[in-house]
Amino acid sequence: MKKMVDQISARLREQKIEEPDSEIEARLRILIDDFRVPESEAKRSVLNYFFKKHGITLVKAASQKVKIAEIAEPGKWVDLEVKVLDLWEPQNEMIAQTGLVGDSTGAINFVKWAKATLPDMELGKSYLLRNAVTDAFQGRFSVKLHSRSQIEPLDYEIDAQAKSGTAQETKIGEISQPGKWIDLKAKVVQLWDSNSEAIAQAGLIGDETGSIKFVKWAKADLPEIEEAKSYFLKNVITDEFQGRFSIKLNKSSHIEELKEEIEVGVQPIEFSGAFVDIQKGSGLIKRCPICKRSLTKGICGEHGKVDGIYDLRIKGVLDDGRRVQDILINRDTTERLVGITLEEAKQMAMEALDHEVVRSLIEAKLMGRYFSVTGPKIDRYILVETINESLPIVAKEIDELINLIEVD
Amino acid sequence: MAGFTREVARRVFAEELRNSDLSFRDGDDLNQYAPQYLLTPTGARCNRIFMVGTLTERDDIGGDTEYWRGRIIDPTGSILIYAGQYQPEAAQALANIEPPAFVAVVGKPNLFQTEDGSVIISVRAESVQKVDEATRNRWVVETAKRTYERLESLSNITPASPKFSTADKPIAFSSSMDAEKAIAHYKTDARQYKQMVLRAASSLRTALGDEAFRAPSRKDTPGASQESEPEPLKSKPETNKKSKSKSSKGALFDNWAEIETNEEVEIFHLGKKN
Repeated sequence: MKKMVDQISARLREQKIEEPDSEIEARLRILIDDFRVPESEAKRSVLNYFFKKHGITLVKAASQKVKIAEIAEPGKWVDLEVKVLDLWEPQNEMIAQTGLVGDSTGAINFVKWAKATLPDMELGKSYLLRNAVTDAFQGRFSVKLHSRSQIEPLDYEIDAQAKSGTAQETKIGEISQPGKWIDLKAKVVQLWDSNSEAIAQAGLIGDETGSIKFVKWAKADLPEIEEAKSYFLKNVITDEFQGRFSIKLNKSSHIEELKEEIEVGVQPIEFSGAFVDIQKGSGLIKRCPICKRSLTKGICGEHGKVDGIYDLRIKGVLDDGRRVQDILINRDTTERLVGITLEEAKQMAMEALDHEVVRSLIEAKLMGRYFSVTGPKIDRYILVETINESLPIVAKEIDELINLIEVD
Repeated sequence: MAGFTREVARRVFAEELRNSDLSFRDGDDLNQYAPQYLLTPTGARCNRIFMVGTLTERDDIGGDTEYWRGRIIDPTGSILIYAGQYQPEAAQALANIEPPAFVAVVGKPNLFQTEDGSVIISVRAESVQKVDEATRNRWVVETAKRTYERLESLSNITPASPKFSTADKPIAFSSSMDAEKAIAHYKTDARQYKQMVLRAASSLRTALGDEAFRAPSRKDTPGASQESEPEPLKSKPETNKKSKSKSSKGALFDNWAEIETNEEVEIFHLGKKN
């Protein structure tokens, strides 16, 4: 808060405006605490309020001297004092130079257009970039240098952090939105065959909070990583596809091998809801003796026609009226939950000449009823470790609900 | 299978379902495989619903092939469910359950327009399963909560609401877009549905209270277990109710009576169509 107030009062002083810090802080607090306005928006709004109060209209195209961390929206004209931290090979002819520049508050990608005909910058040197335009791609900002921008070498050095200001060290279990730049310490659980030339490596990495798919682009030109080794992956970007997260390693990412080994775990999650489906493939099934996959009509997808081993399991769907959750229940838990052993299930199926009777029995026991499950979430399934029928509703619960509604 | 995400089964009370007559396909209206939705007055966008109530009647109304119709009662009213040859498991289940019984139903809401233009709602059952009273109670509370949550998001965008008389319309969320659509189509009176939720919760509260203090006579209470009672649910509580009714309960049962009359009309129409 203090930092934001200082930034605002500094900006006000540039315009020869003096306002008490308490006044600035009060306005910020109303926006942030009472109206849940994001900080950057609040800052902007408070600044504009005081500018307006003193009759100052800022010309939109007028560039402002900013720090990298203050860049909060695209399409702004800014002046930056930066040090060149990295230079990359331009990907097309329209780009003269591209790389990473930084100051004391962070680092940002820059692109210098070929059309701009600006002098080349050198790695490790410091420059004043005038009239650069901010841009955003996948939630990350960059600055573009174009024909109206200027590059002036500085005779002093800018103190810059090599690390991008936006990337934060994160645990896999905390990843909750796409387009975030993060640092991860993780172990390579599995490498997959890449089926695209654009992808150098892909697979699964994990830390103590979970595991996640990763993709390393061929263009990123990063070192190969190996299965079972642990790495510090810096400046990678999160992505999402159909509700599942992944991370992408690109040109601005870095890979460092770690000496210590990262423990891969899966944190159990909990879900409560009613069974709305007991899916096909539940009940008495046969598995491939080699790969343990379930067979379809006695045939394994990998190993062809095999002599299957009987197993009992439930593939179910729980639903709480807001979300659906697929769950998998293994043989032990199924036996206890449904009150039938694998042997009894086999007997039942034999007598009925149909495996489906076992699934029907499971349906009769579970469909429509409310359960709480816990277990690690792998892909879209919770692998159920505990399952308990929800406790009956008590009067107190209803009283609370009635009070809530009546008070409203 | 990739790209297939299962639709959430919405929780909607019978009264609200019966007031629903707006259905549409997602996105391209011409794509017959696009999922079909029913939008209810409180803005629930239902491709599928889950309800637990009392099955009070069930009949095979089909001709050559079996076509089962069941009548499900919840604290706010009743709804008809259907299961035919394309829902063999649900049809089988309906055939085997002796009413009255608590049942859990997963199904798709279905609108049907009669020749005279009135719209009738029913549920095409995917699954019907007998459950216990505790499950039914849990459903009532859960549905009350979900409905109340929808009412909250309605009140956030209704300019007429006394509490939130802001002109701001957050349109970023699809749920609030559904809410706006619902208000535009139904002119939803939030108070009516708030009363409905309260009635449902109160009826359950009364039932639980009775259970705690005088378990033997719990058949007197609305919505309580009737498993050992062969008579249809509707007549019995009606008479018992009168003797110990408070004013709010009176309203509840007036509502039931009203719904009952509508039902006869519906059955008539459907019979004609078939």
